[in-house]
Amino acid sequence: MTETKRIALERSAARRSDASDSPATAVKPRRSVSDRLFAIWGIIVLLFLFAPIIVILVYSFNTGRLLISFDGFGIEPFLTILNKPAIQSAVWVSIRAGVFSALFATAIGTFAGVAMARRPGKWVGWFLVLLVLVTVTPEIVDAVSLLPWVVFLGQDLGLTIFNDGIFRLVVGNSLFSIAVVSYIVRARLVGISASLEEASADLYAPPLRTFWRITLPLAMPAVLAGGLLSFTLSLDNTIIASFVSVSGTTPWPVYVLSAVRSGLRPEIASVSTLMLIVTLLSLAVVAWVLKRSGDSATQIARTMAGG
Amino acid sequence: MPKLRWPKATLALPAWVWLLAFFAAPVGLIIWYSFGYKPGIFGTHSNDILSLDRYAEALSPTFFATFSNTLWVGIVGTLICLVIGMPVAYWMAVKVPVSRRGLLLAAIMIPFWTNFLVRTIGWQIILSPQGWLSQGLEAIGVIDGPLEILYTRTAVLIGVVYNYLPLMILPLFVAFDRVGEPLREASKDLGAGRLHTFLRVTIPLARPGIIAGLLLVYIPLMGDYITATVLGGAKGNMAGQLVASQFQNAQNWALGAAMAVVLILTILISAAVLGLIIWLATLPFRSHYRLRLGSGS
Repeated sequence: MTETKRIALERSAARRSDASDSPATAVKPRRSVSDRLFAIWGIIVLLFLFAPIIVILVYSFNTGRLLISFDGFGIEPFLTILNKPAIQSAVWVSIRAGVFSALFATAIGTFAGVAMARRPGKWVGWFLVLLVLVTVTPEIVDAVSLLPWVVFLGQDLGLTIFNDGIFRLVVGNSLFSIAVVSYIVRARLVGISASLEEASADLYAPPLRTFWRITLPLAMPAVLAGGLLSFTLSLDNTIIASFVSVSGTTPWPVYVLSAVRSGLRPEIASVSTLMLIVTLLSLAVVAWVLKRSGDSATQIARTMAGG
Repeated sequence: MPKLRWPKATLALPAWVWLLAFFAAPVGLIIWYSFGYKPGIFGTHSNDILSLDRYAEALSPTFFATFSNTLWVGIVGTLICLVIGMPVAYWMAVKVPVSRRGLLLAAIMIPFWTNFLVRTIGWQIILSPQGWLSQGLEAIGVIDGPLEILYTRTAVLIGVVYNYLPLMILPLFVAFDRVGEPLREASKDLGAGRLHTFLRVTIPLARPGIIAGLLLVYIPLMGDYITATVLGGAKGNMAGQLVASQFQNAQNWALGAAMAVVLILTILISAAVLGLIIWLATLPFRSHYRLRLGSGS
């Protein structure tokens, strides 16, 4: 279906460009007014989406004492980061927790997604109910539930790993990420017939090898997209993190949240600018990998949107 | 040699165990706490006597106002996202040449991948009375004094619409894209006007995407507490802040737990009611012949 659709779309795009290129057929398309209105609206919305980011980028060069009042333009706030171990440690905690959460959630979620796509049965319904519950529960409810729970496990039951700051963050980040990865991987594999895996099994490949050599490569775009989403979701996780984090391992968003209460300084914008650049670079790498594996932009979006 | 197959669903076992241990069990514990009470200044919760009193307390006039405010922000915010996002998604999926779509999608997603809290702080700067927006509007005479939006419900509304808009645009884009050019052309060839095609072909076929977008925006929006904390101040209270403050400041876990349960129930019930209303409202637009997209073929 996608193939024919792509051809149809390309044909219509070609038709459109034909009309604009050759003067012989330079009859103005009938829909140009509404087309233009749509384009104007789209650009206004894009500007709206970019407005606060541009503000943060500009204000990250604010030499004033407080973030909110712009004083002058300079790179001082970026230099201040070097003298602020609290900020550096917060960012480092976030990155570590993000990487561990992403690896963990991607592994567990991929297994669950493969199982749902390839071993359907009554259990899938129950599992989906659990995943939907995880997805619709507001983060604040997860947060207030996890706090007494990890305290209970760590202090009353003496499982000391639950007193570790990074581990607690990984637990908090993992819930939503596992659900997201499971959805994406399942959606990807449901759309691909299992014949290759069956062929591999018929040729006496043990199940594990079939999984590694056939199933996983087939699911790879979804696994990558899911991993990336988990990482960014974890970096973003403020609410759960602010409840479960242990003093000493404060992740970056929690640091910023406490700064909101005590007074925001320009360094916060500077760190955000640096992190935005890193995120964009990693996004570009993933998009490039997906593109090389043959997905169109629309398919990438579809994979990332979960179906 | 018999073919070796994994037993059913073994691969999903780690996810089952993990989610039951760190989602179902803690939420179950909170539901249990919600039937208890706060035993004294130093205790956080006790379940010696079970009652529904905490629920009565959570719904008492003091807190009820916050819940209805949350509901208002949630519904109005979601509808604004739909109204803003629908034309954008349609534009991207139908009007924009295929070659430029990837770039636009990336542009829609970039804000989505910038830290949520930092984006919201960006709005705090924009909306502040000393900010450029305020000065600009004052200079061209739109407003008389400095902009007084920050720390009001309007600011919270702007913030949540901003923060959740990408979650509306993406599923709508996927849905509109799926409908495809051929079906729309067919509809027009058969004599339907543009509006008719949109209402009778595009919208019905895109309905799953529209519903997904509404839910993706509405559910996190209702539980949001960051946006309200940064932009709302005291006047823009949301239910999420209530729950948090019972755990962080008042140390009344029983009441906080009851509030959390009320919040979940509010979200589920209101989503169901809204779904019913939308279903009834769109009945006149539904065609007698059901349109269906073949999937997977």
